[in-house]
Amino acid sequence: MTTSGSSPRGADEVREALVAAAARLLGHSAPERISGRRLAEEAGVNYGLVHHYFGGKEAVLREGFSRLTESYAAGEELDTSGRVEPFSLLRWPGFVRAVAYASLSGEADRTHVTHPALDAAVEQTLEMRAGEDETDIRVDVGIATVFHLARCLFATTMDPWIARGGEAPDLVEEVEERLVLILRSLSLGLDPGTAARGDREPFRRSSVPD
Amino acid sequence: MDLDPDDEPSSRTALLDAAIRLMSDRAPSTVTGRELAEEAGVNYGLVHYYFESSGDLLSAARDRHGSRLLADSMAGGTRPIPLDQVVSDREIFGFAAHVALEGGDDDADVSRPVFDAMLRLAAEGDPGGDPVHHRATVAAIVLLQLGWPVFVEHNATGLGLDLQEDGEMIRERFFTVLESLYRSIGVEAER
Repeated sequence: MTTSGSSPRGADEVREALVAAAARLLGHSAPERISGRRLAEEAGVNYGLVHHYFGGKEAVLREGFSRLTESYAAGEELDTSGRVEPFSLLRWPGFVRAVAYASLSGEADRTHVTHPALDAAVEQTLEMRAGEDETDIRVDVGIATVFHLARCLFATTMDPWIARGGEAPDLVEEVEERLVLILRSLSLGLDPGTAARGDREPFRRSSVPD
Repeated sequence: MDLDPDDEPSSRTALLDAAIRLMSDRAPSTVTGRELAEEAGVNYGLVHYYFESSGDLLSAARDRHGSRLLADSMAGGTRPIPLDQVVSDREIFGFAAHVALEGGDDDADVSRPVFDAMLRLAAEGDPGGDPVHHRATVAAIVLLQLGWPVFVEHNATGLGLDLQEDGEMIRERFFTVLESLYRSIGVEAER
């Protein structure tokens, strides 16, 4: 797919078109299945330019992944209360899908050019849990992020089932609220079962906003 | 093509089981009909005989996967999936992730026998409990289980954790999380 009728020209345009093409394709298949030719076709440029500007498809894919990660990190917006939206990745399906495809094909290593989103989560949590063991905090953030990513990757699997709850009119909203509470309990190292019951007391005691 | 009607159920099932095996490692769209027939040990012609489209095959495999999970891992819906299986059985969860990635779950009316069975366990374990609590807890457990095999490596590396060195501790923490969620709905999860 080219964005306009004319092909990209000049170093900057060609590089940009290839990186943008990689970012799109990574959300639709495993990195190993994306050929240099497919990248060139998606970018609307000559195949030879992949090698000319990047030395090969690997570098294009790496930059494509960085692009996805950075655009996610840059796009995290604060809600009205000044907090980051809890399941913010729901708005970045391309990023979530790219991580999933890369991980499932055993190429999780590729996804680690930079990770501003995880870094930001750790930094924020370290601040809130000052004085606690740093490795414990990293493990908790890792588990919370698994939950966050899964909530987004499996949205079409889970959401219709949640909505099947029947009578209660506000059930979907209430369940969603509860899932947010569970997510927070995970990164704060609080008991998730207590959060699942809707008990906010441990959040108050930990003097962290719930 | 000669088709022996007696062979139908078993060769269809063989194809679905082969699809689940292949699609736990690879995206469904990359699996060809010939590979599928070979993996299942059945005639290639049967692939198209049983399944009109790749979408048909994917949803039939998804349903077969769900009923196998319920029958085997959940002992007919009488217990939750053992925790060790959650972290070790890639076939279960790799397949589920690939189905979600390739649009196999996009139909909102798909039945969810595994989720429903977990909700029944909650109703038995915590009779008269809050329906919001039950549904949210089952959803959280399912999401954590589905997401773990897909994302754990990505997150660990991104967080500077070593899955070789810290793997045991990370798994232990994950089990504690699942056990806490299960306990809140009155269910004891085996390891």
